[in-house]
Amino acid sequence: MENSTRSGTSIRAMTFASVAAAALAVTLTAFAQPALAETERTVKIAGWGAKSGPLRSFGVNSEAVLTAAVQAINDAGGVKLGDGTMAKMELTYYDSACNADQAISVARKVESQTEALIGIGPTCSGAAAAMYGIFQKTVGDASDTGLQFPILTDTAIRPGLAKKSQWTFRNVPNEIAMYDALFEWLRTQYPDAETIYGGTETDQAHSRLTFALVIVPMAKKHGFEWVGGGIEGVTGKVGEGRENVMEASKSSNWLMADTNFSVQARAFKKSGADMMIISSHPFTTCGMLKEMKRQRINPKVLVGLTSSSSAETLKGCSDAAEGMYIPTGFAPITEAAAQVAALAEANGGSADLHSAAAWENAHIIKQVVEATGVMAKPDTLVADRRKVRDGLEALANVDGLMGAIGRVQDEGESIKPYVFVQADAGSWTVVHDPR
Amino acid sequence: MSDFWFEFVEITQTVGDGLLFGATYALIGIGFTLIFGAMGKLNMTYAGASLAGAYAGLAAFTFVNAPALVVFLVSALASGFIGFVVYVACFRFIPVNNHLAALMASIGALFFIDEIVIHATDGSPLTFPAMFEYVMFDLGPYGIRGDLLFVFVVCVVSTAGLVYVLYRSRLGLATRAVSQQDVAARLCGIDVHRTNAITFVLAGLLGGIAGSMTAAAVGVLSPLVTIPLTVKGLIVTVIGGLGSIPGAIVAGLLVGGLENVFLYFRGVNERDMYVLLLLFVFLVFRPHGISGTAIDRD
Repeated sequence: MENSTRSGTSIRAMTFASVAAAALAVTLTAFAQPALAETERTVKIAGWGAKSGPLRSFGVNSEAVLTAAVQAINDAGGVKLGDGTMAKMELTYYDSACNADQAISVARKVESQTEALIGIGPTCSGAAAAMYGIFQKTVGDASDTGLQFPILTDTAIRPGLAKKSQWTFRNVPNEIAMYDALFEWLRTQYPDAETIYGGTETDQAHSRLTFALVIVPMAKKHGFEWVGGGIEGVTGKVGEGRENVMEASKSSNWLMADTNFSVQARAFKKSGADMMIISSHPFTTCGMLKEMKRQRINPKVLVGLTSSSSAETLKGCSDAAEGMYIPTGFAPITEAAAQVAALAEANGGSADLHSAAAWENAHIIKQVVEATGVMAKPDTLVADRRKVRDGLEALANVDGLMGAIGRVQDEGESIKPYVFVQADAGSWTVVHDPR
Repeated sequence: MSDFWFEFVEITQTVGDGLLFGATYALIGIGFTLIFGAMGKLNMTYAGASLAGAYAGLAAFTFVNAPALVVFLVSALASGFIGFVVYVACFRFIPVNNHLAALMASIGALFFIDEIVIHATDGSPLTFPAMFEYVMFDLGPYGIRGDLLFVFVVCVVSTAGLVYVLYRSRLGLATRAVSQQDVAARLCGIDVHRTNAITFVLAGLLGGIAGSMTAAAVGVLSPLVTIPLTVKGLIVTVIGGLGSIPGAIVAGLLVGGLENVFLYFRGVNERDMYVLLLLFVFLVFRPHGISGTAIDRD
């Protein structure tokens, strides 16, 4: 009995000790949780782009560069938050397949279901044009229920997109400035060249609009005349006479998936122009260039679209592209640019005119987060997103891979340094560096 | 050269180029029509499988530097194999009368194959080897592309080979028997599934040639081409008459030639509109297509 009582006391003591220990553990865990959370705070960013579909290379390259940038930032200690804590940057990359619906769907999901501070996407101009439309146009407009989530886009290069919303920003080359300078330079390099002729892929808005709004007007601005006339409405100002350009080039245009370019190439040949312009993406640029070579068309000057200054064009038709000039916002001519090119390759992608901006974007985000005192806590998410947006808008200049990047803040656009490259023996060679 | 003469040369050259290129459309159309003739079903995977075959050929070129002829051969064999896989995956085990299920399965397979190619190549355009790539034969004011002439000849020879197999061999007899009345064919001891599988392989071989010839004609291969080639193949099949091989040949050349003419006169934005209008006209006024005979499996 005594034994039994002693035993009962012992059991009660053990039970009490167990309960006390459990309570202590729970209490410690409860106190420890915020501390743990403090150490695990991360600056979450979401990227999305074409990782499936025929334009998959856009997403693959962008993700490769972005991953390398995030890794580099984290290796250097991470991002300093508003309270002085150093946080790691965390990237999640989604596939939006160069499709407007998917880009919009990803944007909505990221904004509402994740703690991402900012989005980087959607790599394609058409998808960006549609996606930007769902964002709140003017910050603070209570009557506008559009997404209130900052976007900093790379790759999607079609002129004038970011001004659709005050939440949308881009870091892409400015084609207007680039072609203006290119034709000014070509004027000095080829004083005998007087006439131009060209074509574009009309079902690709970037190719078509850049051709009609930028390339032909800029060529005319610097004294080049369209063979046979027909573009009288083009004054040299961006956008003027766009319809005339498309009408004048009616029989020399093509579609993005075309496989037969014989009619268009004959129109080029018939024109006998000194300078020929091919405003299209790599696949049809190669198709057209090969057909021109077959038909023995040898213009004095050949000019291409910015998007074709990539490895894809050289993979497809380096021999036929020989001599083609293109302005580009990226070339591995600085130490930083060369390093990014190597890192992108190590990550299974390629740093080019489009994707290299993803590196700059990650560093811009780090700079903005540190400057605006972002806290990166779940309960400060809405305020943090607003801080990031305001921080992006406040940027005047940022460091880029090729030099300082200026900002046109009322339009959310950037002014990036550029160089002119020429296809030369299977690679893009910098032939003029106006920086 | 007077303006009239210059214009005449331009137009005839345009038509000639279109006809030569139309040979590849004809091959794709024949593949669609062969399978439809045999099974009464559309294999939507066909053009995609043809291009996937061309990619297999390109792999031979890239990795072992195979010559162009070997590349074409590998393309045909690979496409034939893919044709067999598609038959097993999308047609063999689906009930004969469930046309919609087979159609949807083949559409799914089309996107699946396309996405495999995209993931393998990142969607990048890749140089495809061609024979006589920059050869031009000058005939007075006309120029004939050597590579397109080669494509045309290969297409004619392939079609002739197919016609020979269909009309001069026991395999062809079995295929035609199955296409006319599969139950009767079965009662005669013909293995219907085996015959259908061989038809898919035959069509695949032809598709591989078409895919590689299309890629060779452009000099570049890209997954961008899959859907337009599928649409073009279907248009050719319908205009030629579902199940009619001669009809597909004529329709392929017709579509190729007219496409270029529409492009020359109306520009690229209206070109496909007129081709689709042509399809509409056939569907309304001659629903059996150029072959002019009703499709009758019994």
